[in-house]
Amino acid sequence: MLVSLKWLSDYVELPTDIKAMCDKFDLTGTGVEGVERTGDNLAGVVVGHVVACEPHPDSDHMHVTMVDVGADEPLQIVCGAPNMKLGIKTPVATIGTVMPEGFKIKKSKLRGVASCGMCCSKRELGMGADHEGIWILSDDAPIGTPIADYLKLSDTILDLEITPNRPDCLSMAGMAREVGAMYRVPVKYPERELVVDESLPAVDELATVTVEDAERCPRYTARVIKNVKVGPSPEWLAERVQAAGARSINNIVDVTNYILFLLGQPLHAFDYDKLVDGSGKANVVVRAAADGEKLVTLDEEERALTSDMTVIATPDKAVALAGVMGGFDSEVTEGTTTILLESATFECGRTSRTSRNLGLISESSLRYERGVDDNTCADFSAYAAALMAEVSGGSVCPGVIDVYGKKSEPVELELRVKRCQGMLGAPIPADEMQDILERLGCEVSATADADVLKVVAPTNRPDLEREIDLYEEVLRLYGMDRIPATLPGGRGRLGTRTEAQVKMDKINDTLRACGMNETMTYSFADPSDLERLRMPSEGLGIPVELLNPMTTDQSVMRQTIIPGLLRSVAHNQARGVKDIQLYETGTVFFGAEGKPQPREKQKLAGVLAGTMGNATWNHKPAEFDFFDGKGVVENLVRELCIQKVRYKALDAEDAPFLQPGRAAQVLAGGSILGWVGEIHPLAVQAFDAEAPVVAFELDIDALIKASQLSRPYVDVPVYPAVTIDQAFVVSEDVTAERMMQVISSAGGKLLDSVKLFDVYRDPLRVGVGKKSMAFALEYRAADRTLTAEEVEKQHTKLLTKVAKATGAEIRG
Amino acid sequence: MAIIDDITALHKETLERIGAIGDSKELEAIRVEVVGKAGSLTGYLRSMGQVAKEHRAQIGKSVNLARNEIEAALEAKKAELSAREMEARIAASAVDVTLPGRSQQVGTRHLINAISDEISELFLGLGYTVLTGPEVETDWYNFTALNAPEDHPSRGLADTFYVKDNTGAETAVKGESAVLLRTQTSGVQVHAMEDRELPIYIIAPGKVYRRDVADPSHLPQFHQCEGLVIDKNITFGDLKGTLDYFCKQIFGPERKTRFRAHYFPFTEPSAEADVSCGVCGGTGHLHDGEKCRMCKGTGWIEILGCGMVDPNVLEMSGIDPEEYSGFAFGVGIERVACLKYNVPDLRMLLEGDMRFLRQF
Repeated sequence: MLVSLKWLSDYVELPTDIKAMCDKFDLTGTGVEGVERTGDNLAGVVVGHVVACEPHPDSDHMHVTMVDVGADEPLQIVCGAPNMKLGIKTPVATIGTVMPEGFKIKKSKLRGVASCGMCCSKRELGMGADHEGIWILSDDAPIGTPIADYLKLSDTILDLEITPNRPDCLSMAGMAREVGAMYRVPVKYPERELVVDESLPAVDELATVTVEDAERCPRYTARVIKNVKVGPSPEWLAERVQAAGARSINNIVDVTNYILFLLGQPLHAFDYDKLVDGSGKANVVVRAAADGEKLVTLDEEERALTSDMTVIATPDKAVALAGVMGGFDSEVTEGTTTILLESATFECGRTSRTSRNLGLISESSLRYERGVDDNTCADFSAYAAALMAEVSGGSVCPGVIDVYGKKSEPVELELRVKRCQGMLGAPIPADEMQDILERLGCEVSATADADVLKVVAPTNRPDLEREIDLYEEVLRLYGMDRIPATLPGGRGRLGTRTEAQVKMDKINDTLRACGMNETMTYSFADPSDLERLRMPSEGLGIPVELLNPMTTDQSVMRQTIIPGLLRSVAHNQARGVKDIQLYETGTVFFGAEGKPQPREKQKLAGVLAGTMGNATWNHKPAEFDFFDGKGVVENLVRELCIQKVRYKALDAEDAPFLQPGRAAQVLAGGSILGWVGEIHPLAVQAFDAEAPVVAFELDIDALIKASQLSRPYVDVPVYPAVTIDQAFVVSEDVTAERMMQVISSAGGKLLDSVKLFDVYRDPLRVGVGKKSMAFALEYRAADRTLTAEEVEKQHTKLLTKVAKATGAEIRG
Repeated sequence: MAIIDDITALHKETLERIGAIGDSKELEAIRVEVVGKAGSLTGYLRSMGQVAKEHRAQIGKSVNLARNEIEAALEAKKAELSAREMEARIAASAVDVTLPGRSQQVGTRHLINAISDEISELFLGLGYTVLTGPEVETDWYNFTALNAPEDHPSRGLADTFYVKDNTGAETAVKGESAVLLRTQTSGVQVHAMEDRELPIYIIAPGKVYRRDVADPSHLPQFHQCEGLVIDKNITFGDLKGTLDYFCKQIFGPERKTRFRAHYFPFTEPSAEADVSCGVCGGTGHLHDGEKCRMCKGTGWIEILGCGMVDPNVLEMSGIDPEEYSGFAFGVGIERVACLKYNVPDLRMLLEGDMRFLRQF
């Protein structure tokens, strides 16, 4: 809300230090978002008196003048304006002034004659279009006065953030009360006496008001002002309305806005004649709108209404949208002579919904949805009517129609002083509490219990409805800075991480140790992401759709993290960064029909492209492939102590988004942990990235469930091992996993470990469709040194079994 | 006796040759040639059988003397040579120590999570527990149970992303829904109050969503860490002390805090907390008198919202506000990140640019 300090100072004495006052506003709950000084752009422009005026010796239209600007010597100014003459007063921009249009006034020579300033037109001062000549000021303008002061342009406009609980502050009167409370100074609230013209018909002869539902409209008052002449507002009124940020429209509308800004009461002025029906009266009905009913609002938009909305209507049709905006048809125009002035209150919730449903926020709706005090409706209407008559030459008809269906009563509260002190943590004296509350308009009295104050909150403070609300008032005006800082005492409490949190830390630590960099991408996704990725939607639920997305490519919630990471790969590659190791842990969302909330799953996904770090002088890293991704997963399951992990090849049908032959499902026992593989080149391409991109996506909940915090200790071997390197030639379809299984089971108790150390293919030496796999076999007994014979015997047995089970050919 | 002279000559000559040698291979060659199995000196011992008995002792003595001395000389020379060779090897293998080392690249934590960790660590130390909750919430947990019932104007403060309600339920305002992306992690606090034993000391870090166009200072998805304490005799002073400690830990011990009255539906009384500006030291202006741009000349930077938990909220969660009181706060992690690292554009946090990520 914009607050003119010039205006505000009419009601309360303001301190001279504006910055200190702004700080105080900030500290007591009224945020100061901006401070603008008007008139500042005219600094250096003063009232000048032309004391000499001669024609320029070298020009047929310019004058050489001497202008008194209140300094020791008059200034010599060369002026080309046709209306320049001796004795006039005019604004003079002195040397150094920066004009509103940006140029700086310097000492100069015009056709050889020195000029020490400039006489200004209205347009040059940014104050209108008039550029026919210089601005001639009235004769009584005091010489040397800054023009901004002379024109009373100097003002400070504060842009205040009024929190939603303080509708009372959405007015000058409310802010005056705040200032009064802040500085303990008296406030003079605006008042105006209403004089009615008894010769005119009483208002109830001219109009009737029916309120169908007092819930929707607790109070509706109407007055009639006759013989108005609609025209421009007087300057002071236009200025005030503009200072509050509104446009000056005409004297009638400006009065309604003025009262809204001054007192916080929204008003509406109808053209009375447009409401009158066959009965010769204006029969106003406040009712629910019919579903589908149409109303053209003041902004000339046709609005489709619903029964949740409230309208002001004549028996024929709706004429205004209650609490939000008037109707176009009953608008005050130049020809209007009689005004029906509405001053009413409307239910907060419905006003808010109406405003949101129509996307229509007005100064009225803003106040009504926060709460307008019904107790002052009629008084403020009287103030408005009096002012309206004054500025439009009209007369106010006797009486007021007042349909007051639901009155809000002042709230009576108890304030327990000790409890308040206890909760705030400071021994604020009871009389200081009382003083603070009284300054805010509460009535405070003692009770039989010395610890309890009785507080009656004013009806314009709907936020003061409970004892705790009073504590807040006491605290903010006592000063939060005066409360000593302490820490909660409490009984013993322990800050501990859950097992899942500890494991989550381990996951992150391991990925970082693998050289992966954590990133974050949007949780939003493009509805076409899965299709582009070639990922089947089976098992991913239905996409969670946003009703009001920012953009269509962010209109659903992601079902996989991979598209976001591929976009990051493309982002890096497009900027020449080719070596990419990224991972993200985050939520994916699987919706389900008939369920309000989706299932949220935590996923861990990673992408690798290029190489691990740059090639250096002593290290040439290899391009990432499937096994780098798998290596990360292997480290992870090792660190998480996950048992019985298997990698099962995924074919094109299972995982069309992965490159067939370089894709595996990761399993632990019977449960699926996720997958690792190279993203299908077509999918990589669809996200504008360059293949190959190795990736994995794992289910964090499954990882955590399968993991152990630690693994059991195994004795470090005491006796030496006998290591035999053994190669087997097998056909291509025998997997490493199969070989490991067969070897492990064939090795018996003495085979301590098996490690694959070479895979070799050669059509001539190994054979077409075959491969040689070499394993390092370690034989060891826990309780003795094995003899050569023992090892020999076991190894021979192993070779026979492996050959039999896999068709392997044994190579020396 | 000629043979003795020969031995003496061989003895002398060998010692001289050893003395002159500069290479361990040659040294070995001499050893083989002279004292090896088939060596020339060894030959005298072998041929002892052909020597007259009375000479054997003398010859044997000469040979042994020669062999002992030669072997000693060989040892000494060997030690000398290997020391010299090691020195040479060391000299030859010197490197330019300013060349980069050989290492496995270590990955990095995302800035936002790093700060979130820092905050969690700090509150774990104060005896808090870390909780999380769903990102798609119902309006009950995001608003209503936080004392912002339907149509409450404070709901308008958060530009909410609404989610299609798959139950088909309709709302009073078209385009809105009872299902939404949480605008704050406060919902976690409601879950905590409903589910946990008292007293409660928790923080809830997490992702939240608000309809803002992504620009250098806004993101439609960002992170908050909310805190909640419910215990007996909790005061506003406790809130101040806790958050003052938090700010000093995160921003530095020289920083000050101030509390400004504010409004949040969840708390009463409510406040916003500012931390003194780190650029101008809280003065609002720089050494040259220029206005500080970081704090816009105010000397303070807004850092979090907080307040005493509203009794309505306690009651809705089944806690007696006469017996218990508490405080709550919420801090924007991106805001902390920006203040600590001067990140010029928040969108960088979501781009995954390796050159950005690897700085933290």
